[in-house]
Amino acid sequence: MIRESDDVIVKAVARLLMPFIVVYALYVVMHGHYSPGGGFQGGVILAASFVLLGVSHGLGKTRRRMSEKVAGVISSIGVLIYGGIGALCLILGGNYLHYGKLSKLLHVTPAEARSLGILGVEIGVALAVMAVMCTVFFAIFTVGESPEDDRSVE
Amino acid sequence: MPVKDIIVILFMLGGLFLFSTATLGLLRLPDFYTRLHATGKGDTLAALWSLIGLAVYHGFSLTSAKIIFIAVFMFLAQPTATHAISRAAFRCGVQPWTCELAVLLDEDTVE
Amino acid sequence: MTEFFLIIGIGMCVLVLLCLYRATYGPTILNRAAGISAIGTKTLIILLLMGVVYDRIDMFIDISMVYALLNFLGTVVLSKYLERSGEA
Repeated sequence: MIRESDDVIVKAVARLLMPFIVVYALYVVMHGHYSPGGGFQGGVILAASFVLLGVSHGLGKTRRRMSEKVAGVISSIGVLIYGGIGALCLILGGNYLHYGKLSKLLHVTPAEARSLGILGVEIGVALAVMAVMCTVFFAIFTVGESPEDDRSVE
Repeated sequence: MPVKDIIVILFMLGGLFLFSTATLGLLRLPDFYTRLHATGKGDTLAALWSLIGLAVYHGFSLTSAKIIFIAVFMFLAQPTATHAISRAAFRCGVQPWTCELAVLLDEDTVE
Repeated sequence: MTEFFLIIGIGMCVLVLLCLYRATYGPTILNRAAGISAIGTKTLIILLLMGVVYDRIDMFIDISMVYALLNFLGTVVLSKYLERSGEA
């Protein structure tokens, strides 16, 4: 269990930098078309912000913001978005992930529908990757401990 | 030669010089804390100068703004990492190097 | 101008090789961590110089920002772990 460190400098700098890391991760996800990035890279950077929070402020406070249950729900939502867009294309009459058929639903040209379809899929991938990375981080850093250890006198 | 090119060359050469002195300090200084001093300060300033040189090379554009963001991030993050390492060393009991120990060992006295 | 950046890049590669000595032969783990952090900073600058030499710096800026972040994060996590486990 990582207890809260009494190090003022690392805590203050982590608290200052975390929102900017999250915004940068969203930028990387959105600009996957034009520059290196996309879903997987943005998800990893989002998870890195949670790792920074966990290392500097202790695992208890991180659990209050992202518990294992919420991480499981978010990963399922990510997979639902990915599979849902593919299935929606199937329902509208094309193959799986044939984004051109979405143009009837969104009232745009098929080229723009393809672009928007890929963006939606990348968002689903980023959510799923972030949740799985957070779960892995929690699993590695709480090995061999039980919740009763927290309540002992320390 | 335009003034912009001269400024870029000066900044990049200054950055390379500072990087080399920081590396020399990392290799040759006698103790962990002194090495950390060399690399923590020298590397940060050298990176800052190199990034400013690259930003001036590209003029007023989005690229220069992004390079300045990287420079600000390095300015905040690298000293924090150095502080975290040195605090870990202090808590684990790494002792600083003192000069009297060498002199005393030469005279064969036990302290 | 690109030849000048190429020469600077080669100089920085030589410095990375020198830093590798401390990263392999440092007496304790924390010495190696300091060496790796220094190598990471130099790698970031070499990435940007390669971007300028190939005239596609837009691609390389995002990567170098991410690498700066990961370098900082790795150093902080390693030092917190070593502080907790109690050995240098």
